[in-house]
Amino acid sequence: MKQTLMPYYLSRAAFSIAFGLLFLATGSPWWGALLLGGLLLALFIWAPHSGRYAVHPEFGMTALRRDERTQVINDRAARNAFVVSMLLLGAIAVLAGASGAISLSLSVLRLVLLAGVLTYFASDLWLRKTQQ
Amino acid sequence: MNLRNNLKDMRVQKNKTQEQLAGAVGVTRQTIIAIEKEKFVPSVKLALELAHALDAPFETLFWLEKAEEKK
Repeated sequence: MKQTLMPYYLSRAAFSIAFGLLFLATGSPWWGALLLGGLLLALFIWAPHSGRYAVHPEFGMTALRRDERTQVINDRAARNAFVVSMLLLGAIAVLAGASGAISLSLSVLRLVLLAGVLTYFASDLWLRKTQQ
Repeated sequence: MNLRNNLKDMRVQKNKTQEQLAGAVGVTRQTIIAIEKEKFVPSVKLALELAHALDAPFETLFWLEKAEEKK
C-alpha cells in the first residue's frame, strides 16, 4: 500500500487549529486567530514541497526530516547565531561595566536575541545559496 | 586531497532524475544537486547509499584527487 502524507497533514491541521484557539484565548480577535491558524497551515502544507526537508511518508506525523546537508546548514547557522549573541552580550557587559551601569535594560537583551535570530536566518539563507 | 565524483554522469547513464535518486537515498533534490556540483561532501553512509542506488562500484562514483600545489 502506498503511504501518503495524510497523517502529517492531519496532525498539522490539528496543531494549526489548536494554535489559532490559543491565540483566541489570549484575547485576540477571531479574524486574527483565523489568519494566524491559516498562515500556519499554509506553511505546513508548503513545507513538503519546499525542498528544505527530505520527505519520508513511512514516519507518519514526523514525515519531514532534515537530511545530512540541511542538518549541517542548520548546525552552522545555529553556531553563527550563538557566537554573534555571545559576542554582543560580552560587548554590552564590557560597555556597561565601563560606564558604571549596575543593571541592564531588558530591551537591550531583546535586541541581542533579535540579532541572534536574524543571524540564524541570514546564515541559513546564505549557506543554502552557496552550498547548492 | 579533494573528493571528486561522477554522480551526474552515472545518474544520467542509469536514466534517473535527481528527484528519483534523492527519493531512493532519502535526501532532498537540493542535496543531490550540491553533491553533483561538488559543493557538498556526503558522509560515507550517503556515498555508499548513492553507489548502491545507482548500482555502481563505489570507486567509479567517488575518488580522491590531490589538491593542486600552490606555487
